[in-house]
Amino acid sequence: MGNGFFTDTTLCIGCKACEVACKQWNQLPADGYEFSGNSYDNTMAPGATTWRHVAFVEQPAPADKPPTDTKWLMMSDVCKHCTNAGCLEACPTGAIIRNEFDDVFIQPDVCNGCGYCVPSCPFGVVDIIAHADYDAHRDFQLDGRSNDDATQGTGGIAGKCTLCYDRQKVGLVPACAKACPTESIQFGDVDELRERAKKRVETLQARGVESYLYGADDATSVGKLNAFFLLTEKPEAYNLPERPVLPSTRQAAGYAAVAITAGALALAGLAIFRRAE
Amino acid sequence: MNPPSPDASGRGASDGFGDLPAHVPATYYERPLLKKPHWEGEVIVYLFLGGIMGGSGILALLCDDHPDHDEDLARIVRYSAFVLAPASPGVLLLHLGRPERFLHMLRIFKWRSVMSMGVWGLIAFSVPATLGAGAQAARDGILWSWLDALVPRRVTDVVLGFLGAFIVGYTGVLLSATAIPLWAIGKRHIPAFCVCSGLAGACALNAAILAIGGGNERSLRKLERLEMLASAAELALLEAFRRHAGSTGDPMFTGKRGNKLRTVTQALGIVAPALLTLLPFGGRAKTLLASALTLAGGYVLRETLIEAGKASADDPRAASRQPE
Repeated sequence: MGNGFFTDTTLCIGCKACEVACKQWNQLPADGYEFSGNSYDNTMAPGATTWRHVAFVEQPAPADKPPTDTKWLMMSDVCKHCTNAGCLEACPTGAIIRNEFDDVFIQPDVCNGCGYCVPSCPFGVVDIIAHADYDAHRDFQLDGRSNDDATQGTGGIAGKCTLCYDRQKVGLVPACAKACPTESIQFGDVDELRERAKKRVETLQARGVESYLYGADDATSVGKLNAFFLLTEKPEAYNLPERPVLPSTRQAAGYAAVAITAGALALAGLAIFRRAE
Repeated sequence: MNPPSPDASGRGASDGFGDLPAHVPATYYERPLLKKPHWEGEVIVYLFLGGIMGGSGILALLCDDHPDHDEDLARIVRYSAFVLAPASPGVLLLHLGRPERFLHMLRIFKWRSVMSMGVWGLIAFSVPATLGAGAQAARDGILWSWLDALVPRRVTDVVLGFLGAFIVGYTGVLLSATAIPLWAIGKRHIPAFCVCSGLAGACALNAAILAIGGGNERSLRKLERLEMLASAAELALLEAFRRHAGSTGDPMFTGKRGNKLRTVTQALGIVAPALLTLLPFGGRAKTLLASALTLAGGYVLRETLIEAGKASADDPRAASRQPE
């Protein structure tokens, strides 16, 4: 049920067409010209205005192996659109909703920029769009008109992948999946994608490539991910959490601690205040 | 998730994916995995004021009419709850990315969102705080005397006490219900010491105002006793949290931040006021000094908690295996 992404990292060639297509369709400002020195990755993380992010994992060959054993892995990261989404649960305005395609969507006209969704995301995806993000790139041109006109007043709220809600509405494939030249990013019904992904893992195993699916099962409290991945390294290598936890699962313990502490202090207080001397 | 054979060291080792050389880090170029909140000074001030506000609510319950009742103290407590009720959420609005949209928080009531619960808690608190202060003002001859007869003060004080207990503690729950490793690992400790610190702060503030107004010595002693008790519990909980958090607690308990916490919050904010209180001499100046130290310690505790939380979000290893 619902639409999502299956990102097969064994097919990714690191062209970043997904990043560019996303920026262009969603009219997101450029990331600037910073040079990280970390392989070909200069954006470093998905962010408020970077909704697709291609990670480049470089691992030199072990000393006793031939240099051809060097690993150079690419992975196009994106919002996971969790079944149990931390951001959605944290949002106090109801700006973050689950839409009719079963995707997690931030309504930009409702969000008031409280920022509680940001630390509540176990994957570090959502962030607050700085007002300056749009001011700093006034010279950025899009289709011959200033990006500024299209995006004025968009700062100060939370931003993340919408899974191209607007494109899905009219039956189009999300921009990143459309642009991907190797079908590393596949879009469709998640149940169907999961079946396809399992077969892909079997095929790879048969060819001697170790791989597994990340986020295709219910093993953690965030549940199945509507955007899941096929990986060939540990999750940490791609900056994904090995064990993500739905933050709201800690609330009961917290409220209980408040009740016990406040109750004990109030009882002691009653004894102190109401004792006639 | 179903990653093959996790490696406890976090560094490259044999895990079925080939042997990684030791110099290859298992994380992604040591880059942060999580995003940190953009909360700055206003949120710290809010956490501080909100704690005192909630503590004042609990004090209102304790100071309610009883055989050993002190009208001066009850007056101060009710007025301070009334003044803080709009002041602390007012500060909170300033940190919004779009402050003009603050009313959007009132679109929904959401059990699952601690922030939503907090917003409604603050609004609910303002009702008995306003009614209680109104009745008090009527008694004091500022407002019409019929108001005093109309407001059931006993009810407003009790409601204020329960809502105050929620407000003094929910901020701790709000922090621990995030992915930030330091906050997440303190899901029991942080809410508990927030309650203690908030109540101690409320005792300190109300004692200071009472001392300035030349209030009853016996009431001052009561406030001091409760403050010492709450502060002692806070000290014990902070130490328990330090032990419980292990290396995840390093951003809070080591380095410059740890030194500041030990000096300002633990030594000057908890131990020093207790010693001052136990001194047999000193009078009102002593009360004022002890109160100022307690309040400063409470502020630094909040500041350390927020800043250390942000620092802990930068550690990709702590963020990878998130605390249950």
